[in-house]
Amino acid sequence: MIDVPFFTIPFGPCHPSSGHFHASITLDGERVVELKPDPGYLHRGFEKLMEYRTYLQNSPLVDRICILDPFHAELGYVNAAEKILDIEVPEKGKFIRTIMAELGRILSHITWIGVTSMVLGLNSGCMIAWGDREPLIRINEKVTGGRIYPCYFIPGGVRRDLPENFPEKIDEVFNRLEKNLEQYDFLVFDNETIRVRMENVGILETEEAIDLGATGPNLRATGLKADLRKDEPYEVYDQLDFDIPTQKKGDAFSRGMCRRLEIEESMNIIRDALQKIPGGEFKNKDFKPFTKAKEKETYFCCESARGEQCYHMVGDGTDKPYRVKVRGPSFSHSLAEFPYLAKNAYIADIPAIYWSLDPCPADVDR
Amino acid sequence: MYLRKLLQPFKLIKNLYRKPMTLVFPEEALPPIENYRGRQLLDIEKCVGCGMCSRVCPNDAIVMVDFEGKKCPQIHLGKCCFCALCAENCPTNALQMTGEVFIAGYDRSFAVFDPEKLAKK
Repeated sequence: MIDVPFFTIPFGPCHPSSGHFHASITLDGERVVELKPDPGYLHRGFEKLMEYRTYLQNSPLVDRICILDPFHAELGYVNAAEKILDIEVPEKGKFIRTIMAELGRILSHITWIGVTSMVLGLNSGCMIAWGDREPLIRINEKVTGGRIYPCYFIPGGVRRDLPENFPEKIDEVFNRLEKNLEQYDFLVFDNETIRVRMENVGILETEEAIDLGATGPNLRATGLKADLRKDEPYEVYDQLDFDIPTQKKGDAFSRGMCRRLEIEESMNIIRDALQKIPGGEFKNKDFKPFTKAKEKETYFCCESARGEQCYHMVGDGTDKPYRVKVRGPSFSHSLAEFPYLAKNAYIADIPAIYWSLDPCPADVDR
Repeated sequence: MYLRKLLQPFKLIKNLYRKPMTLVFPEEALPPIENYRGRQLLDIEKCVGCGMCSRVCPNDAIVMVDFEGKKCPQIHLGKCCFCALCAENCPTNALQMTGEVFIAGYDRSFAVFDPEKLAKK
């Protein structure tokens, strides 16, 4: 028998369905023998940059960690910073943060629906999803002043109060979104072409998922009800009434379905929070731009749209952090789970596996 | 159920009678939103030259320059990340964010806004 060498082909970083992520795939015919991820195209050195900026200046910086889910990057950061700075947050500030964080989750999941349906060859799904994203971005703009980068949470609360007609505006947008969710069901989730490409592809068992460091919807799709919002409630999640959607199968389709159901749940959380929101101050005025921190170490985790977003922060008594370590959810998704699931899969299934994990290349490299 | 699924694609016909969701950009643009973080506007009379804006700027985009006998901010909008920390921390509210977003130019020097240019509406 003649020994034929395997083919090695690159996936990304300039591939329509890879984002800015590079992986080299070794192929035996149509089967993937090995997938070597090669991140680093979006490395900007956040952890080092944060050491040179004050606690206030870091808040606009951490937005850039993950472009699609900036609210949770900020939420994790400000909570960790508040522990070091010893600052209390007024109740209203916590409510506003919860509402905006859930809005960020919806934004991220809708973008996921759009990108995934585009990658799987369904362009109209992408158009509708990005069309739905626009009204939500307009709300974001109205509240925070920025379309994509909110720069909204600071240690001690939020920077602005909610606008006057915010609940009505939210109702209007959510009613439209609810109608369009039916359209997604028809167009994307009940679509035969999407189902064939995503069902029984990239199956992850619960134990494997935990071993590989999966969090968020990827872990919940395997059937485990693991969510930091319930397990270790932060902000005001303990006062709100909500469910955690899970799926059983753990394949690419159930990971998507988990996100689809989370959109609805997030809308319920926002509606619930808007009813319970108290009056009063929205930020703690004790926090000044150059407030000095305690000599202390802290660790804080929050449940972002993709999984656990964690910050380990060390304060040294000055107005700048001594060291910050960021744990992004996408790191384990694209460096541990992706190569594991890609092994022995067909080359044509690679985009479906990759996007069903919903990694953010910007978050992998940081 | 099956029939409903079969007939669903025909719903698309109604899109023919719908207005477009997009705008013809250079001619018309989305109206600016109140409190939008666009470029800064300086009120020179209010400015006391304390330099808080330049100290709080995360990107070092602001330098204090001499202008009409006092210190005033000069902003490099190429470096600016439009976080509005300068406007928020201004003790006299001399710096404010406007909804102006069309600030592109043909030259690199266009991005540097000296106090005079910054005060123009």
